[in-house]
Amino acid sequence: MKKIIIGEHISKTFGEGQKKHTVLKDVSVEINEGEFVAIMGPSGSGKSTLMYALSGMDSIDAGTVSFNGMELSALNEQSLAELRRTKMGIVFQQPTLLKNLNILDNIILPAMRNNRTSVDNIKKKARALMKKVGISELEKRDITQVSGGQLQRAGICRALISNPQILFGDEPTGALNSKSAQDIMDILAEINAQGTAVLLVTHDPQIAARTKRVLFMRDGEIVNDLHFNRFNDTNIDSKIDKLMVEMREIGI
Amino acid sequence: MYYKIIRNDIAKSKLISLTTMIFVAVAAMLVALSAILVVNLSSGLDTLMKQAKTPHFMQMHIGDIDTTRLQEFATKNSNVEDFQVLEFLNMDGSQITIGNRSFASNVQDNGFSIQSEKFDYLLDLDGNIINAADGELYVPLRYMKDNDIKVGDKATISGKPFTVAGFLRDSQMNSMLSSSKRFLISKDDYAALQNLGRTEYLIEFRLKDLSKLSAFETAYTSAGLEANGPTITYPLFKMLNALTDGLMIAIILGVSLLVVAIAFMCIRFTLLAKIEEDYREIGVMKAIGLPVVDIKKIYLAKYAAIAAIGSVIGFLCSLLLKGLLLENIRLYMGESGNSFIALLFGIAGIALVFLAMVTYVNRVLKRFRKISAAEAIRFGTSQEQKINTKKFYLSSNRLFNTNIFLGIKDVLARKKLYTTMLTVLVMSAFIIIVPLNLYNTISSNNFIKYMGIGNYDMRIDVQQTENIAYKTKQILDAINNDNSIAKHTVLTTKSFKAKMEDGTQQNIKIELGDHSIFPIEYSTGRAPASQHEMALSALNADELSKKIGDSITLIIAGKEKNFTISGIYSDITNGGKTAKAMFADHSTNIMWTVFCLELSDKALMEDRMTAYASQFPYAKIAAIHDYVFQTFGSTIDAVGKASRTAIAVALFIAVLVTMLFMKMLVAKDRYAIAVMKALGFTNADIAVQYAARSVFVLIIGIVIGTLLANTLGGLLAGAVISSFGASSFTFSVNPIAAYLLCPLLMSCSVLLATILSTSGAGKIKISDHIKE
Repeated sequence: MKKIIIGEHISKTFGEGQKKHTVLKDVSVEINEGEFVAIMGPSGSGKSTLMYALSGMDSIDAGTVSFNGMELSALNEQSLAELRRTKMGIVFQQPTLLKNLNILDNIILPAMRNNRTSVDNIKKKARALMKKVGISELEKRDITQVSGGQLQRAGICRALISNPQILFGDEPTGALNSKSAQDIMDILAEINAQGTAVLLVTHDPQIAARTKRVLFMRDGEIVNDLHFNRFNDTNIDSKIDKLMVEMREIGI
Repeated sequence: MYYKIIRNDIAKSKLISLTTMIFVAVAAMLVALSAILVVNLSSGLDTLMKQAKTPHFMQMHIGDIDTTRLQEFATKNSNVEDFQVLEFLNMDGSQITIGNRSFASNVQDNGFSIQSEKFDYLLDLDGNIINAADGELYVPLRYMKDNDIKVGDKATISGKPFTVAGFLRDSQMNSMLSSSKRFLISKDDYAALQNLGRTEYLIEFRLKDLSKLSAFETAYTSAGLEANGPTITYPLFKMLNALTDGLMIAIILGVSLLVVAIAFMCIRFTLLAKIEEDYREIGVMKAIGLPVVDIKKIYLAKYAAIAAIGSVIGFLCSLLLKGLLLENIRLYMGESGNSFIALLFGIAGIALVFLAMVTYVNRVLKRFRKISAAEAIRFGTSQEQKINTKKFYLSSNRLFNTNIFLGIKDVLARKKLYTTMLTVLVMSAFIIIVPLNLYNTISSNNFIKYMGIGNYDMRIDVQQTENIAYKTKQILDAINNDNSIAKHTVLTTKSFKAKMEDGTQQNIKIELGDHSIFPIEYSTGRAPASQHEMALSALNADELSKKIGDSITLIIAGKEKNFTISGIYSDITNGGKTAKAMFADHSTNIMWTVFCLELSDKALMEDRMTAYASQFPYAKIAAIHDYVFQTFGSTIDAVGKASRTAIAVALFIAVLVTMLFMKMLVAKDRYAIAVMKALGFTNADIAVQYAARSVFVLIIGIVIGTLLANTLGGLLAGAVISSFGASSFTFSVNPIAAYLLCPLLMSCSVLLATILSTSGAGKIKISDHIKE
């Protein structure tokens, strides 16, 4: 299987002197094409930092991250931005939509960056995505006029507007109730089924159980790399049980 | 405790606190300066006019004089305190040479006087009455600077040698706006020169009760006394003396008011941003039961501290700068005895600025009451902000680049936020354009049309000489044979008797001739177009209480003749009381004639002037440009100086506010910027978005500012101009400067400020602002 991301010996420290705190300690990880991965771990374990490092949104102190064979630290600011715009989709915990724009405009924004001549195609794509996630009727709404779950769906549409190779999610369901969270996971599972790789950060075993691979982190290190399909897991409850056992072993 | 909180807070927001402080300081400085200047000007002027004992009423007169009759009138009139007739020996400029400079091209009526005995003294620079010894010449102060004359320079007056012994302050004729200048010489020298010039009389009165001046004027006029020349009264002397510096003070005061307004907006903006930032904290404080008054006190104390420091700095700066601006007042009016009072006024002005600031901060802080504790703690930001995203969609935008669209969209969506910047830019454009237009207007040749003078190149005055009619004819013949002259007209001034409604008669000087060749601006109506029409100057119309369409009766050669008033115009020549008509008259003596000439080729000016001057030594020849320059030169200079200062101040303000505003905007929007970057927008994209916001606001600001400057500013400037005596007025705009260069200059400065201050946006790290 083709590797999208290869991270090798990644280290990152915050602060200086007495307050110095190492968040990532020599972490190596690979993400393959079409994978559905969750990163789990307690607060401060470095799971978000790892995701930001792998997506090039944050710098690292040592080690390398390569995306499709290109080393991220060798790219300049513009190429890095272009990579995010064309190859990556990103969903955050808070719906980070811009207040000034309505739902549709927010969704098409990244694609419009240098492509406004094909605005009709972009709109068609956006409407198809909105239909898929069930927010078709909201396109003219202001972001203050819709619910948190709907905003998060809009955020997913925005992340997918440029057909990314991989979708990053930083606790994408963290601010939602469990029903909305499961709906979002349904959508992500469907996206993944169509070939887009998905990498999530979560601390919720119910969410992690929907993925196919879980990376456990503690104190800046990956302590376990769990592949569900090796055990032919299909039942969600048994997957959750497995995760709980694993978490107890690690001491989360 | 407050001290600690304030100190920490100011240290945390150095740039913003510093900017606010600078604005307060500049505002305080300007207010203090104008207060100090006003006090100095008025007290300096008072001192000068007191020391010199300026006449309350003065009638200039050329021709025979009946001193006994005048003395009789003075004795009989109960309001007269003192009376005298001074002689003024008018001498053609070509007869005067000081140093190596000839006064031939000087447009003023230069003349010689001896020191007065009773009042209207000519003073030295220390305010003492000068006693000129034989051979000594005291020169009007104005010429010291303008003509670069020094004490000890050799002078020749009609061949007689003199030495410049000093300079004199003349409370009547100090100002370049008054058309005569007096030189002081000794009695013996005066006697020696007497036959070489033409004697004019200054009939002067001091009154017991100045408030009854107009009653006295009427009494003088109706007594039918000597009146062959302009009449000037005490208030007019005062105005002429005060005008140049007064104009400067008015502009400084105007600018200072604008700066105060801008300081207010800065405070409002920083305060609102700060409240937004501290929203959650304020909510918590409210929730745990701290009274709102306590919270307010902290903010109020901070701004009071900033305002206090700013005021003190402003005051110190004003003390440093005042010397520079007082130079002129000191020179022409002398040291003011009221420097302490001036200081008090300055302090009072600053106290006013300080109080206004504190009151304003207090008012802005009222919104604390509106903050809901629950909302503040839950959301951390104010939820009241209304987003307006209607009608301008990215999805239907095909016109703009996406970054430019986002910039414009942001401005439209948060109009309230951008109002501050817009207002500042509107004001800056206003501050730049109004003084510039004013300067252009009064320095343009057209301006004199508002002053009762047509727009021509050259004028030849024949006055104060014998046999004017013959000499006029001679010159006219020469002009008719001169093919370098494109257009010309002769205006002959004669004095007529006008019959008043109560049956009394009054002298009225009427300029006869064709007034359509070099038209002037009429504040109402038009030039006389027939034999039976007459136009009056504003002052005359006022005095005779005539309106357009009224009729006026003149007594010509014993017969009554009626005229209809066709127009009213402003005039500064000949004391402002003039009239224009075109009827033919052979019955009355000519007082003077004026030739107005337009040359076919302006390059011939020098040549023609020299030619006419040598051909007709009795005529006074002046280029209209020189005439304007010598009359209004110092005023134009003062306005020009003020205009350049205004441009610098306005640009400085625009740049400073833009930087401040953009820096705060970046701070406020850091989350949105992080999102943009996460979505793949580059630093350059974000810079373009901010520049687009700036440019969009800038364009609106410049357009509104320019429109306002040309409407409201025109009215304001009109008020200033009307103090010159011009009642109707429109800006004469230099389109390249006002509509191209200034907006360009402003755009470049604002854009540069935007780029510099938003460069920090690129440094915003995605992970710092979005990561949970």
